[in-house]
This record gives sequence, structure tokens and C-alpha cells, in this order.
Amino acid sequence: MENIHQRATQTLFDKQLITEEQHEQIVSYRSLNIFSLNAELKIFLYLSVLMFTSGIGILIYQNIDTIGHSIIISLISIVTVICYYFSFNRAPEFNKSQTYFESPVMEYIVLTANLLTCILIGYLQIQYNTFGTHYGLATIIPTTIGLFSGYYFDNKNVLSIAITGLAAYIGLTVSPQSLLQNEIYNTDSLSYAAIGLGVVLILWNYYSSIIKLKTHFALIFLTFALHLISISCINTIIDSDYYLVFSAILGLSTYFFYISSYKIKSISLFIFAVLYGFIGLNITLFKIIDYMNLTDIFEFILVLSPFYFIGAIILFIMMIKKFNSEFKK
Amino acid sequence: MIALEKIKVENQLLVEESHALYKARFISEEQFKIVQKSHPTPKKQKNILLRLGFAFLGILLYSSICGFISLLGLSFIDDSFEVFLFVFAAVGFAGAEFFAKQNYSEQGLDDSFLIGAQLLLAGAIATVTDGYEMIIALFATIVSVLTYLRYINRASLVIFCIASTATIAFSLFEIGVIGKSILPFVLMIYGIGLYFICDKIARNLQFPFYQKGILLVKYFGLILFYFSGNYLIVRELSVELLGSEIPTNSDISFAWFFHAFTFIVPTTYIFYGVKLLDRALVWIGFLCFVFALYTVDFYFLEVAAEIYLITAGLLLFAIAYFSIKKLKDKKEGITFQPDRFINSSDFLHTEALILTSQFGLKPETTTDSPMEFGGGGFSGGGSTGGY
Repeated sequence: MENIHQRATQTLFDKQLITEEQHEQIVSYRSLNIFSLNAELKIFLYLSVLMFTSGIGILIYQNIDTIGHSIIISLISIVTVICYYFSFNRAPEFNKSQTYFESPVMEYIVLTANLLTCILIGYLQIQYNTFGTHYGLATIIPTTIGLFSGYYFDNKNVLSIAITGLAAYIGLTVSPQSLLQNEIYNTDSLSYAAIGLGVVLILWNYYSSIIKLKTHFALIFLTFALHLISISCINTIIDSDYYLVFSAILGLSTYFFYISSYKIKSISLFIFAVLYGFIGLNITLFKIIDYMNLTDIFEFILVLSPFYFIGAIILFIMMIKKFNSEFKK
Repeated sequence: MIALEKIKVENQLLVEESHALYKARFISEEQFKIVQKSHPTPKKQKNILLRLGFAFLGILLYSSICGFISLLGLSFIDDSFEVFLFVFAAVGFAGAEFFAKQNYSEQGLDDSFLIGAQLLLAGAIATVTDGYEMIIALFATIVSVLTYLRYINRASLVIFCIASTATIAFSLFEIGVIGKSILPFVLMIYGIGLYFICDKIARNLQFPFYQKGILLVKYFGLILFYFSGNYLIVRELSVELLGSEIPTNSDISFAWFFHAFTFIVPTTYIFYGVKLLDRALVWIGFLCFVFALYTVDFYFLEVAAEIYLITAGLLLFAIAYFSIKKLKDKKEGITFQPDRFINSSDFLHTEALILTSQFGLKPETTTDSPMEFGGGGFSGGGSTGGY
């Protein structure tokens, strides 16, 4: 593999597209034979945290009502406290802009601390019923801690967990009782809640951008908002009778995320916004055709479909070209 | 032979190289732009999401064309519907040719037509031969090699890898019991053979644009080599294929060989990967090693999952922590310093994605009780389609 690169560089040099000095620099850098394990070791750290915490999570529930149980719990609490101690001790001073720990290991210690907190609080609820019937509390407390840690330690992973916590909180408080009593709950209302949460995330992101608080989190907030809003809208379009309203909402949100993707230069946001919009549009069209009972001209529609898709493809290619040219600026 | 303009395909390597050099801050943006302008290349989609998106659109287009044709065809043809499959495959190849002429290569749209055409052709052969597996696989192998040589799309090579392995397996099945029992050894030889042949071809290759494809096949050879000798796979397959139950106190024949193989091969991979500075080889070795551990766990260890996870987590953490400490300040060779040529930010984005998918964001998954969120949620929570 190195071989082709070296050959290509040589060709570039032969064609005088790079200067001799640059060529020498490149050759000497390559001759260092750098074999960076940067990403690999970080993945190892990440995997180790995930494995450890999921192991702990299972361990607690497996050993409920056994003798060693309270020992396990206290051990985990101690580990959590130690993790937090190190996190606070080594944390860079809080700053509104992006900050970094000196050692990359610390980011994963923060993550461990938060995951363990979630586990412990969940456990307190199931074993001692600490929060009584306020089931939401068992979710919102780790979420709050997660939000705080995410901002204070500038940790994207923890922030993401906190946002999923918010989502879970909403999902639960909409109908916790009916869930526990195994009743069928209304998906529609959950969808509305999800859309609402998405809007809240967007507003919060907007506010953060005004007060310049950790603006690099924008991608996370917008990604969550995009998926929450779009998936709920598409779900409702499929199920509900008021699908036209939700098509309109999806259209608006697609437009918003389309604009946002240009602003924060995120290609993933761009792709998903367009994709969701396209899927939503197709389902709506299908529903309208279905509603108007146009089965007579069904064959005609089938004949038209290749042209429709060709048109869509050309449109997409144009959009991506435009996005790429904007991206490079 | 090549559907694309050869000069453009050759330029591709140069432009990619200059882009890498620019990203590694060796050359200026102007220099990169000059190279890009003076060397036209095929339109290639490097972003995997966009490529998938285009492939999705391509599938829609392809299937709508097929629907269109069947609608027309149904009014003329009353029976012998196999003809349609051939026609659909032809449409696919025509589409691939069209996109090649439009200067697309590995862009997404061409992927869907190329893969679809090959699968449909295999399906057509299947209907004609009444599902004679060996012939289908053999046919698919030949077609995939030819399409790769013509369109230089690595998707064809993926099909080649699977189909060629299937060809060998099915032809051994033809032989009968003996064929089935020597299957692991034959596949091992095939895998390691692929590796060395590709290695040799790559060394003195006239057409450098085939290099990446050859690398793909080379690594596939290594993976196949390991998995055809892994104890778990061999044992389960011999139960499956030979239909013989293995009594509790006996073992498969050559068990000692497969035991040794299961562990020696991944270690060798990692060792040589580090020695040859071959990142992919290290990764393959690591993943094979994980599978080896799984193999051991499957038959011999009876440790609860949580103990396994916790120990593995702690061990991995220790390894990573001390490696980082040791390699932090090294300036050459194996190091923790980021390589100027490698951009690892992609990984950091996926990190959060994997994490959240384990927690399950979808509001509908709230059939989990509130406690589940905190604790065992790792094993359960399904992810939504997108995130």
C-alpha cells in the first residue's frame, strides 16, 4: 500500500506539480515509518468502557438479593466516586468554547463515571423504590448529571447519552402508568412529544449559538432533532389521518435542516434531511393516490415512475454539487 | 477492456495522492487545485453516506424500469417468465455501461445497477438450471471478474470473493463425503493462495488502478484462511454437513490442529501486521483473535457474561492505558502520535452513534421499564433506523 503512494508522489514530482523541497519532506516523513495507533487505542479505551459498564449493569441485576450484593454496590459507588474525583481533578478550566483534557484517557473516565451513575440510580429505583412512583425522576436525574458533565467536561458522548435520557423521559411520562399496566399506549401522542423535544433541542441550539456556549455541540443537537422530528413525522404520516399536517411539518423541518446543514457544514445532516424529506414526500404522494382511489390509472403511474426517479436523481446530483461547492469555500 | 477512459482512471491515483498530501499539510491548497484541474478523473463518491444514498436512488430507478418493462412485456408474453430475469439483468448491465460512459465509478448509482445486474443474472441462471448451485456460483464468479476488469468497481470483487468460495464449496459437495471432510483444508489453501497470488500480482502490476481491488481480495484471502480453520466453524460445519453428532467425550478429527490454528493464526497476523506496518492486517488479526476468544468461550469456559465483560473491559483498559503511556512521545515507528496521513475524526463521530444506539432513542421502545434505562439497557434497546 505504501508502495503506490510513494510511486504516486514520485509521479507528481516528475510532473513538477510539487517542489523538490516538498518531495523531500514527504519522503523523509514516510521513511519514519510512522505507524500510529492513535485511533486504535482510543477505540480500545472506548470498548473497554462499554464492556466494563455493561458487565456491571448485568452483574447488579444478576445478584440482587444475594449476600455479596451490597458489597458490589458499594464497590461500584466507590469506583464512580473515584472516576468523578479524577474527572474534576484533571478537568480543564470551564470555558464556553471547546476544551480538551490533557490526556485522552480522561474523556473515557468521564464516560465511565456517567454510565455508572445511570446504573446506580436505576438500581436504587428498582431495589429500594427510592423515587416512589415518580418514575421520571429515575431518568431525569442521570440525565441532568449527564447534561452537566457533557457541558462541564466538554464530552460529546456523555451529552448524547443525556439527550437519549431526555427522550426516554418524555416517552415515559407520556404514559408511564399505562406502560406498567401493560396497556396499549397511543403512539401518536408519543410522536407529538418527540417532535416537541426536537423543537426544544433546536431552540436550545439556537440560544447556545447566540450566547456562544459550546457551539461545537450544534451537530449533536441538530442530529438528534432531525432524527426525532423526521422519524416521528414519517410514522405519523403512515398511521394518522391527519397526514397532510405532518407532511407539512416534515417539509418545514426538512427545509430548516437543509439550511442548517449549510451553516454548520455537515454532510450527514444534509443527506439525512434530504432523504427523510424524499421518503416523506413519496409516502404522502402514495397516500394521496390511495385516497383518491386512482387505481384506474395505476399502470400509467407505473410507466411514469422511471422518469420520476430519473428526475429525482438529477435533482439530487445538482443539490450535492451545490453543497460540495459551498463546502469547499 | 475498460469501460472508463483509462487516462482518467490513472489520474485518479494522482489526484487522490495530492489530496492526501494536502490534507496532511505537505502541499498547499493551490497546488492541490492545480493537480485537480489538470487531471480529470472519474466521478467517484468518497463519502459513504452519499454513496449509499445514491445507491438507494439507483435501486429505485432500476426497479421502476424493471416494473415498466414487465408491464409492457406482460401484454405480449403469457408464459416463460424467466426471459424477464435475463432482460432485467441486461437492463442492469446497460445501466452500468451508461454510467461508465457518463464517467461514474464507485459513485453509488453505478453500484446499484452493477450489483443488481449480477444478482439478477445469477437468478436467471438459477431458473434455467433448476437451481444447480455449482453452475450458478461458477457463472457468478466469472461474470464478477469480468465486470470488475471492465468497470473497476470493487463491489464486483465482493461478489467475486463470495461466489468463488461458493464454487469451491459446492464442487466439493459434488464429490460427496470425502469432499465435505476435506473442505476446510481446501478452503484454507484457497485463502492463503489468494493472498500470495494477489501479493505477487500487486508487486509488479502494470495497471496501478487495479491495486485497491487486489488489496481487497488479498485481505479476503486472509479472512477466509482463518475462518476455514477456526475450531468453532469447522466443528459446527462438520456437524451440519456430515450430519454426524459429536459425542461429548470425543472430538472432531485433527482437533489438536484446529485448536492450535485458532490461536496461532491471529497472533501471526497481528505480529506481521505490526512488522509490515499493515494496518488492515492488524485489524483482521485483532478481530480474528476476538473470534478465537469467543470460540474458547463457546466450548470450554463456563463463565457468566458479566464476569467476562468486566474482566475483558478492565484488561483492555489496562492494555490501552499503558500503551498510550508508553507510546505517547515516540516520534517514529509505532506511536500514539496521530499520523499526518490519517484523519481519525470519522471514528469520533461514530463513537457517539454506537453509544446512543445501545441506549435506544426511539420513543416507542419504552416498553422497557424505567429501571431498564439505567442498568441492563445495554443488552436490549434497539436503535432507530437513523441513529
